[in-house]
Amino acid sequence: MSSTYILVADDARIGDLLTMASGSTTTAVVVGRREVADRVAAGGVDSVIWLGAPAADVPLEAYGPAVAQVVAEAAPDLVLAATRPADRVLAGAVVAATGAQVFTMVRSVTVSDGSVELGRDVFGGIAQEVVRVTGPVVLVVDGGPDVTAGSAVEVTERAAEVRPGVTVVEEQPAERAAVDLTRAPRIVTAGRGVKSRDDLALVDALAAALGAESACSRPLAEGLGWYTHDRYVGVTGQHVQPELYVAVGVSGQLQHVVGARGAGTVVAINADKDCPYFAEADYCVVGDLYALVPALTEALS
Amino acid sequence: MKIAVAYKWAPNPQDASVSGSGAVDWSRAKPAISEYDQVAITVGRGLADALGAELVGISVGTSETGSSMARKAALSRGLDRLAIVTDDDWAGADAGRTARVLAQVVEQVGEVGLVLTGDSSVDLGAQLVGAVLGAELGWPVVTNVTSVAGAAGELTVSRSREGGTQSLRVTGPVVLSVAPDAAIPTVPGMKDILAAGKKPTDVVEAAVPPPGSVEVLSTAPPTLKARKTLVIDGSDPAAAAAELVAALRADTVI
Repeated sequence: MSSTYILVADDARIGDLLTMASGSTTTAVVVGRREVADRVAAGGVDSVIWLGAPAADVPLEAYGPAVAQVVAEAAPDLVLAATRPADRVLAGAVVAATGAQVFTMVRSVTVSDGSVELGRDVFGGIAQEVVRVTGPVVLVVDGGPDVTAGSAVEVTERAAEVRPGVTVVEEQPAERAAVDLTRAPRIVTAGRGVKSRDDLALVDALAAALGAESACSRPLAEGLGWYTHDRYVGVTGQHVQPELYVAVGVSGQLQHVVGARGAGTVVAINADKDCPYFAEADYCVVGDLYALVPALTEALS
Repeated sequence: MKIAVAYKWAPNPQDASVSGSGAVDWSRAKPAISEYDQVAITVGRGLADALGAELVGISVGTSETGSSMARKAALSRGLDRLAIVTDDDWAGADAGRTARVLAQVVEQVGEVGLVLTGDSSVDLGAQLVGAVLGAELGWPVVTNVTSVAGAAGELTVSRSREGGTQSLRVTGPVVLSVAPDAAIPTVPGMKDILAAGKKPTDVVEAAVPPPGSVEVLSTAPPTLKARKTLVIDGSDPAAAAAELVAALRADTVI
């Protein structure tokens, strides 16, 4: 049977990685708190290697070389990691240590005799391909939901050296708790058509009327800073699959649309009847969002 | 100390066209300095000025990366000079291969104490080059960096995380991947573009690792859900809202 190593950086949201590894013997290499290792151990893997409790001032990334050593010794067919920041650094260490090829945006994996077949999106989702890769493979993909607790396997603790050079001086918690858009059943997204930060109240009111989470396209998070990164939908942001997705003043650039292609029903509200989003929406409402959004909120309440 | 900034000369997939068989045609997509790398260059310029360091742009790509247009585009954004590797079989390289070559460039430039990268490239978007590069160099890596300050050998780095922000002390060479909003890239003026023509570029000889064994079995355009694309005229907002709500109720979406 093929073997798969799953890298975990203090976060048990690896449900999709476990699905991807099904049919393979799975080992989780866990960096961070013991409770995360225990959670993963009860989540459906075959074994867990835990690299010990990190000191408070040691960043998770400092375990990169230790994780890479564990993986290099085992030489598994496949290594999986979530797209979260610290997990990516661990994956990078494994790529460097093993000479593995690394792939992202992977939809399907089949491991067979000495090669791995991958179905994946390429170039930010403009096309897809199926490839056969020979040699070690690392995949960095969405981690998915938290693992569900079942019967637990043993957690093997292994002493690890941490890479020096970076110490944590201070932690400042976010003002608001991060939202997990990937699980939201309804999402209302604001785009560049919203002219000022104060106008987001209109979009928020619509979201409240629908019982939806508020989200945004990239410029509103990354240039304007109106939203935090956890609310940004797009190829380098959140990939969402709500039942209802309402895009308000979002033109529909590929960069954004790729993050919301999993949506059930898509409503796009835009003044430009030729905007690209209308080609990928179920309901294309052409008009001024400043009139339409309040009218829609009113009609829902 | 020198500060290196990794950048990529790459086209935006938005401008490429995809055939019915999934073949990607880049002929109408013009390459540029990948947009998040522009953020890294801007952060690097500010830091280099504060520390009195030289700012070196490092890159690997096909001969296009070494073209006058590509070099000027990079140098006009504030880099002092470039150290690049060009290889005409480069197209399609993954993050690992890119990082392995960039690590050699960093070694050859010498005296580099800090490498900055952008969040991700415009064409591949893997968000991995910094992570592999740090591991290749044996240096720590910090991602999602929002600010960098301090002196050589003692940097204070802030980075954003899901639960908030973290302040870190860095006491040695490091790779920092800057967050997309760490700085707003400046648009080069005519003076910058003219000055760029006089700045040096070193074409570095590096051992380019062979491409990995990847056999493409099939390509296809993206699988899109069938959408209704029903147009609702919003010139009467109340009527449009009523029509949309009725349609969503009929679909049992709300």
